[in-house]
Amino acid sequence: MPAGPAAPPLGLYVHIPFCETKCPYCDFNTYAAIESLMPSYTRALEREIAGWGAWLGGPALTSIFFGGGTPSYLPTRDLARLLRAIDAAFAVAPGAEVTLEANPRDCERERLRAIRRAGFNRISIGVQSLDDQELRLLGRRHDAAGAIAAVDAARVAGFDNLSLDLMFGLPNQFVASWEHTLAEAVALAPDHVSAYALTLEGGTPMEADVRRGRLAEPDGEIAAEMYRLAIDLLAGAGLAQYEISNWARPGRASRHNLAYWRNEAWLGVGPGAHAHLFDNGMASLGALGANGARFAVVKPPRDYIRAAAAWEPPAAPVTRASLAAVPFLDTVEAVSDATAMGETMMMGLRLNEGVSDAAFAARFGKPIAQAFPEALTECLDYGLLCWVDGSLRLTDRGRMVGNEAFRRFVVEAAMAG
Amino acid sequence: MDAAHIRNFCIIAHIDHGKSTLADRMLEITGTVAARDMQEQLLDSNPIERERGITIKAQAVRMAFTHTDGDEYELNLIDTPGHVDFGYEVSRSLAACEGAVLVVDATQGIQAQTLANVYLALEHDLTIIPVVNKIDLPQSDQERVKAELKQAFGFKPEEVLYVSGKVGTGVKELLHEIINRVQQPAARPDKPLRALIFDSKYDSYKGVMAYVRVFDGVVRGTDRIRMMATNSMADVLEVGVFRPTMAKVDELAAGEVGYIATGLKSVGECRVGDTITLYRGGADEALPGYGARKPMVFAGMYPSEGNEFHELREALERLQMNDASLVFEPEQSAALGPGFRCGFLGLLHMEIVQERLEREFGMDLVVTAPSVVYRVVMNDNSVREIARPTDLPSGGEYQRVEEPWLRISILTPSRFLGPMMDLISSKRGEFKKTEYLDSAVVKQGDPDSLPSSDPRVLLEADVPMSEVLVDFYDQLKTRSRGYASLDYTVGEYREAPLVRLDVLVNNQPVDALSLITHKDNAFSQGRTLVERLRTLIPRQLFEVPIQAAIGGRIIARETIKSMGKNVLAKCYGGDVTRKRKLLEKQAEGKKRMKRIGRVEVPQEAFLAVLKMDK
Ligand SMILES: Nc1nc2c(ncn2[C@@H]2O[C@H](COP(=O)(O)OP(=O)(O)OP(=O)(O)O)[C@@H](O)[C@H]2O)c(=O)[nH]1
Ligand code: SF4
Ligand SMILES: [Mg+2]
Repeated sequence: MPAGPAAPPLGLYVHIPFCETKCPYCDFNTYAAIESLMPSYTRALEREIAGWGAWLGGPALTSIFFGGGTPSYLPTRDLARLLRAIDAAFAVAPGAEVTLEANPRDCERERLRAIRRAGFNRISIGVQSLDDQELRLLGRRHDAAGAIAAVDAARVAGFDNLSLDLMFGLPNQFVASWEHTLAEAVALAPDHVSAYALTLEGGTPMEADVRRGRLAEPDGEIAAEMYRLAIDLLAGAGLAQYEISNWARPGRASRHNLAYWRNEAWLGVGPGAHAHLFDNGMASLGALGANGARFAVVKPPRDYIRAAAAWEPPAAPVTRASLAAVPFLDTVEAVSDATAMGETMMMGLRLNEGVSDAAFAARFGKPIAQAFPEALTECLDYGLLCWVDGSLRLTDRGRMVGNEAFRRFVVEAAMAG
Repeated sequence: MDAAHIRNFCIIAHIDHGKSTLADRMLEITGTVAARDMQEQLLDSNPIERERGITIKAQAVRMAFTHTDGDEYELNLIDTPGHVDFGYEVSRSLAACEGAVLVVDATQGIQAQTLANVYLALEHDLTIIPVVNKIDLPQSDQERVKAELKQAFGFKPEEVLYVSGKVGTGVKELLHEIINRVQQPAARPDKPLRALIFDSKYDSYKGVMAYVRVFDGVVRGTDRIRMMATNSMADVLEVGVFRPTMAKVDELAAGEVGYIATGLKSVGECRVGDTITLYRGGADEALPGYGARKPMVFAGMYPSEGNEFHELREALERLQMNDASLVFEPEQSAALGPGFRCGFLGLLHMEIVQERLEREFGMDLVVTAPSVVYRVVMNDNSVREIARPTDLPSGGEYQRVEEPWLRISILTPSRFLGPMMDLISSKRGEFKKTEYLDSAVVKQGDPDSLPSSDPRVLLEADVPMSEVLVDFYDQLKTRSRGYASLDYTVGEYREAPLVRLDVLVNNQPVDALSLITHKDNAFSQGRTLVERLRTLIPRQLFEVPIQAAIGGRIIARETIKSMGKNVLAKCYGGDVTRKRKLLEKQAEGKKRMKRIGRVEVPQEAFLAVLKMDK
């Protein structure tokens, strides 16, 4: 790791809550038609970043991820300012992964060139589908040709680490059309692919349409078939699956997302962003305890701007109490041993590498079998999990019904703690 | 108070005709309840009664009222439930009274339970005061109801009173008429004490509270008493009356209604229908009383968590102290473990007991499909009564099986007579007779008329009780668009070709899912049942066959496919807590499941048979 052996890993997530229009299936904390807030928002974010940098003692960052929302929708000069603020407040490790999520509509060559120059070295393009009719159903404003052009532009602009976001299991979607999208996507030679099944979130217009029978309910069986197809097709194209919904060429797995799945520390800034900090060896986090705290920033952008714009980090060390006093934080939860173990399993089992028993024991003082006797036995019995080289992994069957495995660990943890 | 100034009456009616609301106005007018404490259907004090808007338990109140003669009278009112399941409560209440206020909804006219309740009141020799209620409603039709009352029961038009329980019109006049028409209690205060227990309730401080009507003698808060049937003895802790909350008094004298706190710890020692007398110098002969009503239906109740058996027993015992009609005994199910076979007066009663166990005692229950009591005549001519399907002996051991029938009466506007007849024959029923209730008053055959202006027909039929259980009432309401009403009494046992239908889940027979059914229906029922179970039991991690069998022969099969895909699709933005909580919540849903072998079966599955449309 270029960050040097001594620097504990720390990721930074930056939330950009702006979108050109709101897609009907989306329940992220993002808004259309509040572009007028962009300048004050950027200033508040700069302030928050500077504050955290100071409070945490300017630690090294191993990854930075601009997500949203639509980060590419923010003017390039604002993106550049934010990266400068991060550089000033933290020690961005040489070679750190710096990702920007981008909408194909924002991907003109010149703009991408500027973004690349500003310091972003990875781009994740929200393609979703390469079928125009499906894109309309999803309320996306780009078409397949636009998505393909966006990928070309990104390559020309110098992005050699490029990811595509795809969705399957849509209302009325045929397996054949998903196969078409996958084939076209593979033809674009991405370094990384994320493929998510559509989930109908309560409160979204699409969910309401399905509930009222105006839109066909996506068929779970068909979605399962599409998922199997993705696994086969992407593997055939040299993209190895490394997580339930993620595939990458060798060395191109998302460093930032791996931090979530490995239950490492990360910081989140901007409205609705989540963070998980604990005593990972960084001097400034020593008072937080081994499992530390998870916390989230308030969601409404205006509330956030008001609370963050004038923030001065406290002199007190980072503890749960001092976090709870931060004006723009919404929830701060202590993480118990049991919860931390349950979450480590829930997240770690998503990865193809699984959860290493040795690493688990090093972190929690006991092996998995001792922490989760029941869940483990049941999952092994049902063939959901298997041991490979000292790591516990999902089997192929288990990957299809991952929640059945995750649930058992989370519940056993809840009963224990 | 001397008996000449006491009137004991109950309010009877078809369900929802406004008994409890009328009682509200009486409480108000007599100043029994202060205006600020008043609320709608005040006597429906149980939360389930309030939520459902129905009376479940009869409730007594004492009121004081000044009559036109200037004297103050003591009025003891008992509000009764209207639902047919609780007919037993009505008959018990009637035994404590000399008069009955018969309430008829002016927009609906006479309904099935109106008839049933009038016959009950006549059996008890009560003076009946017919009252037409809800006259404030624009669609009320007083003329028509008056004519019906004459036609059906021979009430003279001048006997009928018109009130609105909601607004209060006519209620004061009704109170005066009660004093004028209802006889004073035939009380003999100088005779040895005889008090009829018409209800009971358990109080954790005062033990069993016997609700009594004193017929002879006097009972005081210091007496030692004897229950004549059980021969148990108790020292009275206090006597009192209902205002409507319990209020202590020095004595209850012949003719009065009130309660006796017995300090007894078990209702068994102080049974409803028994007579209380004094321990020393008591009466020799008990009052006629009434036998306990036998439960109509039985169902198994099991704790979802096997280890809560003792909690469930305690909860049932506590409930029984306030609900004399509930019976239970322990039973063991191979699939569900230890539990209880419980007897109920009907499905509503069963539902309410289940709800109270869940709400008041925090029990998490699995309830099996209700069954009637079958009679099996064995080869040696002995007779076995069985209340659960798995108790049906195997084929060669018995001569025949008999099932209970009900005598039902349906009151319907004539235009729905056809659909009602169809319903009866689809339920293996035998039609008995029809009678036009009011042909004399309403002209027939106007095609534009409302159903409510049709002449009404009383239809009598015999139907197997098991067929009435399933969805008879819902069908009756649907097929008559809500206009028909139903009442029934228990009829005779009749032989029937009955078979036991067994269900196998994942190749294991599940005793709790077995049912007894008519041979001709068995195949189609078996198919519907496995089909329903397939939709009710969620997919498991493996394929689960569901089979129906008769006598070991499989007659229907469905397969629950194994779970396809259920990964939380997004794992984005790091909201790990939310994902964890989602999984925890899913697991909570599973708690309401019962594990049979490796299969998680939801509680509703055990009642699937109730929801089968044929
Ligand atoms: N408009 C009007 N509505 C009434 C009158 N009396 C009762 N109601 C309404 O009729 C419904 C049933 O009233 P209840 O008093 O609960 O009837 P009930 O006979 O005690 O019902 P059960 O105890 O369940 O048999 C309620 O919604 C009352 O508000 C009345 O005089 N006029
Ligand atoms: S672009 Fe992405 S973040 Fe914005 S509304 Fe659509 S799905 Fe949501
Ligand atoms: Mg009532």
